[in-house]
Amino acid sequence: MSTANQEEFINRIKLALGKPFSEPRQKADLFSREMSAESRAILERIKNRTADDRKKLLETLIEAAGPIHLTVRTCVDINAVTEAITEVVRNKDPEWGDQKRVVAWQHPLIESLNLPEALSEQGVPVFFSNVNAPEGETLRQRIIDSYIGITTADFCMADTATLVMRTRPGQARSVSLVPAIHIAVVELNRIIADLKELYALLKWDPLESKEGVTNCMTFISGPSKTADIEATMVHGAHGPREVHIFVIISGS
Amino acid sequence: MTKITTENYKAEARKAIQNQVLQRALADLQNRFGRGTAECYRRLPEGPGLRLKAHEVRMQTVENLDVVLETLAANIRKNGGQVFFAEDGQAAVNYCLEVAQRHKVSRVVKGKSMVSEEIGLNDALIDSGIDVSETDLGEYIIQLAGETPSHIIAPAIHKTRHDVGSLFADQLDIPYETDPPRLTWIARKALREKFLAADMGTSGCNMACAETGHITTVSNEGNIRMSTTLPRVHIAIMGMERVAARLEDHDMLLRLLCRGAAAQNMATYVSYIGGPRCARQADGPQEFHLVVLDNGRSRILADEQFREMLCCIRCAACLNVCPVYAKIGGHSYGYAYSGPVGAVVTPLLVGINRARDLCLGETLCGACQDICPVNINLPRMLLALRTKLAEGDTAWGVTPADRKEKLLFQAWSWMIRHRGLYDVAVKLAAAGQKLLAPKDGMIRRLPPPIHGWTKARDIKPLAAQSFISRWKKGIR
Repeated sequence: MSTANQEEFINRIKLALGKPFSEPRQKADLFSREMSAESRAILERIKNRTADDRKKLLETLIEAAGPIHLTVRTCVDINAVTEAITEVVRNKDPEWGDQKRVVAWQHPLIESLNLPEALSEQGVPVFFSNVNAPEGETLRQRIIDSYIGITTADFCMADTATLVMRTRPGQARSVSLVPAIHIAVVELNRIIADLKELYALLKWDPLESKEGVTNCMTFISGPSKTADIEATMVHGAHGPREVHIFVIISGS
Repeated sequence: MTKITTENYKAEARKAIQNQVLQRALADLQNRFGRGTAECYRRLPEGPGLRLKAHEVRMQTVENLDVVLETLAANIRKNGGQVFFAEDGQAAVNYCLEVAQRHKVSRVVKGKSMVSEEIGLNDALIDSGIDVSETDLGEYIIQLAGETPSHIIAPAIHKTRHDVGSLFADQLDIPYETDPPRLTWIARKALREKFLAADMGTSGCNMACAETGHITTVSNEGNIRMSTTLPRVHIAIMGMERVAARLEDHDMLLRLLCRGAAAQNMATYVSYIGGPRCARQADGPQEFHLVVLDNGRSRILADEQFREMLCCIRCAACLNVCPVYAKIGGHSYGYAYSGPVGAVVTPLLVGINRARDLCLGETLCGACQDICPVNINLPRMLLALRTKLAEGDTAWGVTPADRKEKLLFQAWSWMIRHRGLYDVAVKLAAAGQKLLAPKDGMIRRLPPPIHGWTKARDIKPLAAQSFISRWKKGIR
């Protein structure tokens, strides 16, 4: 687009700030180029977290989840998660129409749940949100037709009971948004304390910072809600009406 | 362009005060959110002092806005997004219309954004034949009723469940219903169809991040996620100051924003959006546009007295504690921004003379600054605006508002510097006030030219003897 426009705009700001147009500006003090001692300490803390520390974070997560109508369940292993999901599918009815369909992220953890097999007993089809939908059927329509969306999360912040999810191929953003029920399966070691830890990881952790924030990162803290009619709290305004987090506590 | 009705402040305020339903709703709102927010600050691990630190960080960004915005734009373009810098509302609206036409857009879903209220985007899109749906429940109600929002965060606060029930019955052709969960579900159903059919979504931006190249949107309903995920084009509009330099700045700013806006530790949804969908991603918009809006902000930036106003993150906490907003509601302020923030920012954006009643109407009690998540000194700026109205100001094109008032105060100031004259005046007034027939120990009406004082309140009569004369007589 017109960068001339931008130059004029920025020059107006420079003029307003009383700063010369041509002088190159010092960016160093605005944008951190090096890891601060604080960030280093945060990363150290995350790295050295013991099993006990993680359990404590889990307790914090469960405590924070209550008031925002988010359910957190602990599962001893993958099989327990599959069972728990099977139970949800059995007990919950679709919001729109009467065909039960489930859509899930294409992700090793989610694929290891063997959901298509587990749910075939109830005759409930499971779709994966990869881009290669079969001929004549769009993935978008499949997600719209599903009443449960299953994802994992990059992190789960205990402090506020917040799922942190980055978009990638196979991991569509609408899976956690359009179906009426969202289930997130996370391993215990994905639980972090708070925003400070998240931002330190995204910025300075060698592995996480490589991917960075991506083109769409979403925080989800509980089911959709509104209080726009006489300040009465109602869950399920536009997004999911229920959110469940299943935490796998074994092997972490 | 959006309608500006700041001139009707007094008339609208009078109407609002007489509206019992509104009075109750406003009192409820302040009870819940005003107190809740203060309590949330107290529970912060860093304590309420975090607000002062946040002010520093916001100010540093504002004072380096040129570099910060250039960095933001460069990073968003790197991710495949498009950035347009709009000098004023018209330029921003034109850009949005161009994008809509290029993509043959016929349906738009809109996430709540005060800045699009500021520039009147809705009307412009509708005028060009596009179907525009508000998607925030409160704003949807307001749109169906053909009104404007009366609160930044709770736009339909002035509507009862009965109002909403009859509105939905009328407009959506459904049976009358007053249960908020049922009403919400009806809107959920109606709007789901809108989301799925929309070609373009628009949103605001709560706080961009320059170094990573993202905007953020914050909502509880999920409507903004819907509007920015499902349609093929997404346009975000941000006031040029709504940006942080560093990712870690978002730690305190997000926490404070959620606490200030709704006494929450965290909103249900926060999204970082940095560009269109990438190759092999299944959803998200194919095009992402960011419109950065000046519309009078650089003028605020240039005046060091008011620069601080650009720290504002539009959380509306100040509305929830303001004793004036509590009585007159949001519509009286006559523009997108109401309450204390509106009383300062609206005069600066639309003209100080034009919006003079807004800054004159506030009480200067300071509650707004105490609750502000970034500790903006709103009372100081209200006073600065009043000074401009009293003295006139060429830079802001302000003509002195009331010469009579100024003359009166000049006379008063001269008189109190002349002891003898002052004593005589007080004696005369003490004698003269008998003619004003005080009732129940109060004078109801003062004579011209000071009759304005008793238009809306009574005044206590002068004591029979002044303190100084009693002192001289030795009465302790």
